[in-house]
Amino acid sequence: MRFEFDADESKVSISAEFTFTDHATFKVIAARLLDGQDKAIVIDLAKLEFIDSAGLGMLLIVRDEADKARRSLVLRSPCGQVKRMFDVTKFDTLFTVEA
Amino acid sequence: MFRLGRKPRETSVRLVVASTSPPSIHSEVEAPPPPHEALLQRWISLADMQQRVIQALVSEIAHTSGFVETEADALSGRFQRLAVSAEQQTARVDSLTHLATGIEVEGKIVPIDRIAGLLESTLGDVVEKILHLSKDSMSMVYALDELKANVQRVEKCMEQLDGVNNTTNMLALNARIEAERAGAAGSAFRVVANEVRELSKVTQALAATMKSELKGVTDGISHGHATLQRVATIDLSGNILAKDRLEVLMVALVSRNANLETIVADAVKEAGLISADVDGMVTGIQFQDRTRQRLEHVVDTLHLLDRALEEIKSSTTTTLPELAGAAPDIEWVKKLLERFTMSEMRARFVVHLLDGELPDDLSDDMSGNNAPSSGGSTELF
Repeated sequence: MRFEFDADESKVSISAEFTFTDHATFKVIAARLLDGQDKAIVIDLAKLEFIDSAGLGMLLIVRDEADKARRSLVLRSPCGQVKRMFDVTKFDTLFTVEA
Repeated sequence: MFRLGRKPRETSVRLVVASTSPPSIHSEVEAPPPPHEALLQRWISLADMQQRVIQALVSEIAHTSGFVETEADALSGRFQRLAVSAEQQTARVDSLTHLATGIEVEGKIVPIDRIAGLLESTLGDVVEKILHLSKDSMSMVYALDELKANVQRVEKCMEQLDGVNNTTNMLALNARIEAERAGAAGSAFRVVANEVRELSKVTQALAATMKSELKGVTDGISHGHATLQRVATIDLSGNILAKDRLEVLMVALVSRNANLETIVADAVKEAGLISADVDGMVTGIQFQDRTRQRLEHVVDTLHLLDRALEEIKSSTTTTLPELAGAAPDIEWVKKLLERFTMSEMRARFVVHLLDGELPDDLSDDMSGNNAPSSGGSTELF
């Protein structure tokens, strides 16, 4: 998985594949996002090609962390396999998912 | 009726004959008889020929009626069997309706769309549990990562503790040396140095025990981490997407089932119409009885005509015996027979009209197989 933060540290774009092996990297990303100041945390998935069940689990964990910090988490522009996974798991009922 | 004492008008006789299609009768008597006698001979000849025609027609009607009745009976029998088959077919198609509605589970019919809903709900639960499992596994992985980092920090503390212990041990050894050098004045100091040394040994033993225990904790964490990693790295995304595929399958199944229901409903309707039509045909064929009765009336009327002709012919020849034995009008018969398109019927008429033979059993002829036995005049036509 590759990632790129915006200047304000509240928005990150992740690309390639998001699987179990990325858990250490994603922990760092989550910590940086939660350190940001904006109310909304945005994870841009437009360039993410594949996500596995562990990846979904990690997104759920960061959502819980955001809730604790009273901040909102937005998942933006899922496509391809990622969008199918979101559809099947009805992720839109658990997150704010923007097209 | 006929009035023998009055001379009939020749032209009117010709007109009557011509109006009933058969050709006019031409007398071929060699010596010209008196006009009224010639006319009477033609009447007698016509009456004789009409009798033969009537008999031939009666015979044709009787045999045709018999043939039609036999065929109608056979058809009726076949249609009745067809009616039974159509009813059975309707019942079978009707039973298909139940099959199209759903599948039987433990003696109850469960609709296909309900099965689809049940499956969707079950798969939804499974997917939800997979998500929970994934989330909890990753939480555990993060917790163990944290614990591992804690243990590593404790191990660093233990290394520092070893350093402190070594220094203490060295200090106790140096104090002992200095106490020995001081002689009796250092005896109390020697006691303290020994105590410090003993304390250092105990601390060292304790540190060794802690290291051993800590190694157990580290090994346990490593083992737990490895196990959890194996669980967490099982990619369940395929299982999640299986729900998607199954939903597509179920939608297709429900759609196919709906089509099947429509087709079966149409088939039930059609089968009902076929049964009704077949029943109607059976009823229709049974009206053959009325046809037979009509034909019997016709035959009866023809018989009466025959008897009337016979009577008037007989009374005429009794009164005027010289009129007996009038020759048949061959030309008229020829023209009559030319009107028949069925050769076997023509042949029968030849035998009957010219030779005066009564018709044979025509049952075989009705199927069109055989010509009648040839009479003496058949070859003329």
